[in-house]
Amino acid sequence: MPASVLQSDIFTKPTEREIVITRVFDAPRALVFKMWTDPKHLREWFGPGVFTNPVCEVDARVGGKWHIVMRDPQGNDYPCGGVYREVVEPERLVFTNIATDKDGNPIIDGLTTVIFEDEAGKTKLTLQTRGTAVVDYAAEYLKGMDAGWSQSLESLAGKLAKA
Amino acid sequence: MGYANHLNSTFAALADPTRRAILSRLASGEASVNELAEPFAMSQPAISKHLRVLERAGLISRGRDAQRRPRQLQAAPLKEVADWVEHYRQFWTESFDRLDHYLRQLQAKDKAKDKDKAKDKDKAKEKKHAGKRPAK
Repeated sequence: MPASVLQSDIFTKPTEREIVITRVFDAPRALVFKMWTDPKHLREWFGPGVFTNPVCEVDARVGGKWHIVMRDPQGNDYPCGGVYREVVEPERLVFTNIATDKDGNPIIDGLTTVIFEDEAGKTKLTLQTRGTAVVDYAAEYLKGMDAGWSQSLESLAGKLAKA
Repeated sequence: MGYANHLNSTFAALADPTRRAILSRLASGEASVNELAEPFAMSQPAISKHLRVLERAGLISRGRDAQRRPRQLQAAPLKEVADWVEHYRQFWTESFDRLDHYLRQLQAKDKAKDKDKAKDKDKAKEKKHAGKRPAK
Protein backbone atom coordinates (compact mmCIF):
# COMPACT_ATOMS: atom_id res chain seq x y z
CA MET A 1 0.00 0.00 0.00
CA PRO A 2 1.43 3.42 -0.91
CA ALA A 3 2.43 5.47 2.10
CA SER A 4 0.41 8.45 0.86
CA VAL A 5 -2.81 6.52 1.37
CA LEU A 6 -1.88 5.51 4.89
CA GLN A 7 -0.85 9.00 5.78
CA SER A 8 -4.01 10.58 4.44
CA ASP A 9 -6.51 11.97 6.90
CA ILE A 10 -9.02 9.29 6.11
CA PHE A 11 -8.36 7.30 9.27
CA THR A 12 -8.63 10.22 11.62
CA LYS A 13 -11.05 12.71 10.13
CA PRO A 14 -14.75 11.92 10.08
CA THR A 15 -15.35 14.61 7.46
CA GLU A 16 -13.28 13.24 4.62
CA ARG A 17 -15.86 14.32 2.09
CA GLU A 18 -15.18 17.90 3.04
CA ILE A 19 -12.61 20.15 1.48
CA VAL A 20 -11.57 23.47 2.93
CA ILE A 21 -9.46 25.83 0.83
CA THR A 22 -8.31 29.27 1.91
CA ARG A 23 -6.87 31.92 -0.38
CA VAL A 24 -6.10 35.63 -0.04
CA PHE A 25 -6.89 37.80 -3.05
CA ASP A 26 -5.36 41.23 -3.50
CA ALA A 27 -8.69 42.95 -4.12
CA PRO A 28 -11.44 44.53 -2.03
CA ARG A 29 -14.07 42.24 -0.61
CA ALA A 30 -16.97 43.74 -2.56
CA LEU A 31 -15.14 43.10 -5.84
CA VAL A 32 -14.23 39.51 -4.94
CA PHE A 33 -17.83 38.84 -3.95
CA LYS A 34 -18.99 40.22 -7.29
CA MET A 35 -16.73 37.73 -9.09
CA TRP A 36 -19.07 35.00 -7.80
CA THR A 37 -22.43 36.62 -8.33
CA ASP A 38 -21.99 38.37 -11.70
CA PRO A 39 -21.99 35.84 -14.55
CA LYS A 40 -19.92 38.20 -16.71
CA HIS A 41 -17.10 37.75 -14.21
CA LEU A 42 -17.77 34.19 -13.01
CA ARG A 43 -17.44 32.74 -16.51
CA GLU A 44 -13.91 34.16 -16.78
CA TRP A 45 -12.45 32.06 -13.99
CA PHE A 46 -14.69 29.14 -13.02
CA GLY A 47 -13.12 25.74 -13.72
CA PRO A 48 -9.70 24.38 -14.66
CA GLY A 49 -7.45 26.57 -16.81
CA VAL A 50 -8.08 24.99 -20.19
CA PHE A 51 -11.87 25.00 -19.84
CA THR A 52 -14.17 27.70 -21.18
CA ASN A 53 -17.70 28.40 -19.95
CA PRO A 54 -19.99 28.89 -22.96
CA VAL A 55 -23.01 28.96 -20.64
CA CYS A 56 -22.97 30.88 -17.37
CA GLU A 57 -26.25 31.89 -15.77
CA VAL A 58 -26.47 33.20 -12.23
CA ASP A 59 -29.41 34.33 -10.14
CA ALA A 60 -27.69 35.05 -6.83
CA ARG A 61 -30.71 35.25 -4.56
CA VAL A 62 -31.83 32.76 -1.93
CA GLY A 63 -33.62 30.09 -3.94
CA GLY A 64 -32.12 31.41 -7.19
CA LYS A 65 -30.28 29.07 -9.54
CA TRP A 66 -26.88 29.00 -11.15
CA HIS A 67 -26.04 27.02 -14.26
CA ILE A 68 -22.66 26.70 -15.94
CA VAL A 69 -21.57 24.57 -18.87
CA MET A 70 -17.82 24.00 -18.90
CA ARG A 71 -16.20 22.98 -22.17
CA ASP A 72 -12.86 21.20 -22.50
CA PRO A 73 -10.50 21.77 -25.46
CA GLN A 74 -11.97 18.73 -27.28
CA GLY A 75 -15.44 20.28 -27.10
CA ASN A 76 -16.82 17.98 -24.40
CA ASP A 77 -19.33 19.76 -22.20
CA TYR A 78 -19.54 19.42 -18.42
CA PRO A 79 -22.72 21.04 -17.12
CA CYS A 80 -23.10 21.93 -13.46
CA GLY A 81 -25.33 24.11 -11.37
CA GLY A 82 -27.29 24.45 -8.18
CA VAL A 83 -29.40 26.64 -5.96
CA TYR A 84 -28.35 29.46 -3.64
CA ARG A 85 -29.18 28.76 0.00
CA GLU A 86 -27.63 31.89 1.55
CA VAL A 87 -26.56 35.16 -0.06
CA VAL A 88 -25.13 37.72 2.35
CA GLU A 89 -23.32 40.41 0.38
CA PRO A 90 -20.34 40.74 0.64
CA GLU A 91 -19.70 38.13 3.35
CA ARG A 92 -21.11 34.76 2.62
CA LEU A 93 -22.47 32.50 -0.09
CA VAL A 94 -23.93 29.05 0.35
CA PHE A 95 -25.05 27.08 -2.68
CA THR A 96 -25.62 23.54 -3.79
CA ASN A 97 -23.39 22.32 -6.58
CA ILE A 98 -24.74 19.55 -8.71
CA ALA A 99 -22.81 18.34 -11.70
CA THR A 100 -25.19 16.95 -14.30
CA ASP A 101 -24.84 15.00 -17.52
CA LYS A 102 -26.05 16.37 -20.88
CA ASP A 103 -29.62 15.34 -20.08
CA GLY A 104 -29.60 17.10 -16.74
CA ASN A 105 -29.29 13.97 -14.59
CA PRO A 106 -27.23 14.58 -11.44
CA ILE A 107 -23.78 13.00 -11.23
CA ILE A 108 -22.22 14.70 -8.24
CA ASP A 109 -24.10 16.36 -5.43
CA GLY A 110 -22.54 18.85 -3.07
CA LEU A 111 -22.89 21.87 -0.84
CA THR A 112 -20.43 24.75 -0.94
CA THR A 113 -19.97 27.58 1.54
CA VAL A 114 -17.82 30.57 0.62
CA ILE A 115 -16.79 33.08 3.29
CA PHE A 116 -15.30 36.46 2.35
CA GLU A 117 -13.29 38.31 5.01
CA ASP A 118 -11.69 41.72 4.75
CA GLU A 119 -8.00 41.71 5.61
CA ALA A 120 -6.57 45.22 5.36
CA GLY A 121 -8.02 45.86 1.92
CA LYS A 122 -7.35 42.32 0.71
CA THR A 123 -9.87 39.53 0.82
CA LYS A 124 -9.47 36.23 2.56
CA LEU A 125 -11.67 33.65 0.95
CA THR A 126 -12.53 30.36 2.61
CA LEU A 127 -14.24 27.71 0.55
CA GLN A 128 -15.73 24.67 2.14
CA THR A 129 -17.28 22.10 -0.10
CA ARG A 130 -18.62 18.64 0.49
CA GLY A 131 -20.00 16.22 -1.97
CA THR A 132 -21.28 12.79 -2.83
CA ALA A 133 -20.97 11.03 -6.11
CA VAL A 134 -24.46 9.90 -7.07
CA VAL A 135 -24.24 7.89 -10.25
CA ASP A 136 -21.89 5.52 -11.98
CA TYR A 137 -20.53 7.82 -14.65
CA ALA A 138 -19.23 10.28 -12.11
CA ALA A 139 -16.03 8.36 -12.65
CA GLU A 140 -16.13 9.18 -16.36
CA TYR A 141 -16.90 12.79 -15.62
CA LEU A 142 -13.99 13.12 -13.26
CA LYS A 143 -11.72 11.31 -15.67
CA GLY A 144 -12.58 13.91 -18.31
CA MET A 145 -11.64 16.69 -15.96
CA ASP A 146 -8.41 14.93 -15.20
CA ALA A 147 -7.58 14.93 -18.91
CA GLY A 148 -8.19 18.66 -18.96
CA TRP A 149 -5.77 19.22 -16.16
CA SER A 150 -3.00 17.11 -17.52
CA GLN A 151 -3.42 18.95 -20.81
CA SER A 152 -3.03 22.29 -19.17
CA LEU A 153 0.12 21.01 -17.52
CA GLU A 154 1.39 19.76 -20.86
CA SER A 155 0.77 23.06 -22.55
CA LEU A 156 2.49 24.84 -19.71
CA ALA A 157 5.44 22.48 -19.97
CA GLY A 158 5.49 23.16 -23.71
CA LYS A 159 5.55 26.89 -23.18
CA LEU A 160 8.30 26.59 -20.62
CA ALA A 161 10.34 24.43 -22.96
CA LYS A 162 10.08 27.10 -25.67
CA ALA A 163 10.93 29.95 -23.34
CA MET B 1 -21.06 -2.26 -7.95
CA GLY B 2 -21.24 1.20 -9.53
CA TYR B 3 -18.61 3.78 -8.79
CA ALA B 4 -20.96 6.06 -6.83
CA ASN B 5 -22.46 3.28 -4.73
CA HIS B 6 -19.01 2.02 -4.15
CA LEU B 7 -17.84 5.43 -2.97
CA ASN B 8 -20.89 5.86 -0.80
CA SER B 9 -20.35 2.53 0.95
CA THR B 10 -16.71 3.47 1.51
CA PHE B 11 -17.73 6.82 2.99
CA ALA B 12 -20.35 5.11 5.17
CA ALA B 13 -17.82 2.59 6.41
CA LEU B 14 -15.35 5.35 7.25
CA ALA B 15 -17.93 7.44 9.06
CA ASP B 16 -17.54 5.38 12.25
CA PRO B 17 -14.59 6.04 14.59
CA THR B 18 -14.28 2.39 15.68
CA ARG B 19 -14.06 1.27 12.08
CA ARG B 20 -11.42 3.89 11.33
CA ALA B 21 -9.47 2.68 14.36
CA ILE B 22 -9.72 -0.90 13.09
CA LEU B 23 -8.37 0.17 9.70
CA SER B 24 -5.64 2.10 11.40
CA ARG B 25 -4.66 -1.04 13.31
CA LEU B 26 -4.73 -3.14 10.12
CA ALA B 27 -2.52 -0.61 8.38
CA SER B 28 0.33 -1.93 10.51
CA GLY B 29 -0.37 -5.56 9.58
CA GLU B 30 -3.06 -8.26 9.47
CA ALA B 31 -4.87 -9.25 12.67
CA SER B 32 -7.43 -11.81 13.86
CA VAL B 33 -10.86 -10.82 15.15
CA ASN B 34 -9.70 -11.46 18.72
CA GLU B 35 -6.65 -9.29 18.26
CA LEU B 36 -8.79 -6.56 16.79
CA ALA B 37 -11.35 -6.75 19.62
CA GLU B 38 -8.67 -6.48 22.31
CA PRO B 39 -8.03 -2.70 22.39
CA PHE B 40 -11.75 -1.89 22.25
CA ALA B 41 -14.19 -2.25 25.11
CA MET B 42 -16.43 -4.24 22.82
CA SER B 43 -17.77 -7.74 22.51
CA GLN B 44 -16.54 -9.91 19.70
CA PRO B 45 -19.95 -9.90 17.96
CA ALA B 46 -19.92 -6.09 17.99
CA ILE B 47 -16.48 -6.06 16.41
CA SER B 48 -17.56 -8.68 13.89
CA LYS B 49 -20.42 -6.42 12.88
CA HIS B 50 -17.99 -3.57 12.14
CA LEU B 51 -15.76 -5.97 10.24
CA ARG B 52 -18.68 -7.03 8.07
CA VAL B 53 -19.35 -3.38 7.13
CA LEU B 54 -15.68 -2.91 6.27
CA GLU B 55 -15.67 -6.11 4.27
CA ARG B 56 -18.74 -5.12 2.28
CA ALA B 57 -17.09 -1.79 1.47
CA GLY B 58 -14.09 -3.73 0.17
CA LEU B 59 -11.84 -2.11 2.75
CA ILE B 60 -10.69 -5.38 4.29
CA SER B 61 -10.33 -8.99 3.22
CA ARG B 62 -9.70 -12.29 4.98
CA GLY B 63 -6.30 -13.91 4.97
CA ARG B 64 -5.58 -17.53 4.04
CA ASP B 65 -5.01 -18.91 7.55
CA ALA B 66 -8.26 -20.88 8.04
CA GLN B 67 -8.03 -20.90 11.84
CA ARG B 68 -7.11 -17.32 12.63
CA ARG B 69 -8.90 -15.84 9.63
CA PRO B 70 -6.82 -12.70 9.86
CA ARG B 71 -8.24 -9.52 8.37
CA GLN B 72 -6.17 -7.47 5.96
CA LEU B 73 -6.47 -3.90 4.81
CA GLN B 74 -7.40 -3.28 1.15
CA ALA B 75 -6.04 -0.02 -0.19
CA ALA B 76 -7.96 0.46 -3.45
CA PRO B 77 -11.22 1.93 -2.07
CA LEU B 78 -9.27 4.29 0.18
CA LYS B 79 -7.33 5.49 -2.79
CA GLU B 80 -10.55 6.11 -4.68
CA VAL B 81 -11.83 8.29 -1.86
CA ALA B 82 -8.55 10.18 -1.67
CA ASP B 83 -8.52 10.67 -5.47
CA TRP B 84 -12.05 11.92 -5.51
CA VAL B 85 -11.42 14.46 -2.76
CA GLU B 86 -8.25 15.47 -4.60
CA HIS B 87 -10.25 16.13 -7.80
CA TYR B 88 -12.43 18.62 -5.95
CA ARG B 89 -9.47 20.30 -4.35
CA GLN B 90 -7.72 20.59 -7.69
CA PHE B 91 -10.81 22.01 -9.33
CA TRP B 92 -11.05 24.88 -6.86
CA THR B 93 -7.33 25.47 -6.64
CA GLU B 94 -7.13 25.90 -10.42
CA SER B 95 -10.23 28.07 -10.45
CA PHE B 96 -8.72 30.30 -7.78
CA ASP B 97 -5.50 30.64 -9.76
CA ARG B 98 -7.62 31.94 -12.62
CA LEU B 99 -9.62 34.21 -10.34
CA ASP B 100 -6.43 35.68 -8.92
CA HIS B 101 -5.13 36.41 -12.42
CA TYR B 102 -8.48 37.80 -13.56
CA LEU B 103 -8.74 40.12 -10.56
CA ARG B 104 -5.28 41.50 -11.29
CA GLN B 105 -6.21 42.19 -14.92
CA LEU B 106 -9.49 43.75 -13.92
CA GLN B 107 -7.93 46.07 -11.37
CA ALA B 108 -5.11 47.06 -13.72
CA LYS B 109 -7.73 48.01 -16.31
CA ASP B 110 -9.68 50.07 -13.77
CA LYS B 111 -6.53 51.91 -12.79
CA ALA B 112 -5.77 52.68 -16.44
CA LYS B 113 -9.33 53.97 -16.86
CA ASP B 114 -8.99 56.24 -13.84
CA LYS B 115 -5.77 57.63 -15.28
CA ASP B 116 -7.49 58.30 -18.60
CA LYS B 117 -10.31 60.07 -16.81
CA ALA B 118 -7.81 62.22 -14.93
CA LYS B 119 -6.08 63.04 -18.22
CA ASP B 120 -9.39 63.96 -19.83
CA LYS B 121 -10.13 66.29 -16.93
CA ASP B 122 -6.74 67.93 -17.32
CA LYS B 123 -7.37 68.36 -21.02
CA ALA B 124 -10.77 69.89 -20.36
CA LYS B 125 -9.19 72.33 -17.94
CA GLU B 126 -6.53 73.22 -20.47
CA LYS B 127 -9.22 73.85 -23.07
CA LYS B 128 -11.09 76.08 -20.67
CA HIS B 129 -7.95 78.07 -20.02
CA ALA B 130 -7.09 78.09 -23.70
CA GLY B 131 -10.54 79.42 -24.46
CA LYS B 132 -10.15 82.16 -21.89
CA ARG B 133 -6.73 83.24 -22.99
CA PRO B 134 -7.63 85.10 -26.21
CA ALA B 135 -10.10 87.19 -24.26
CA LYS B 136 -7.25 88.51 -22.12
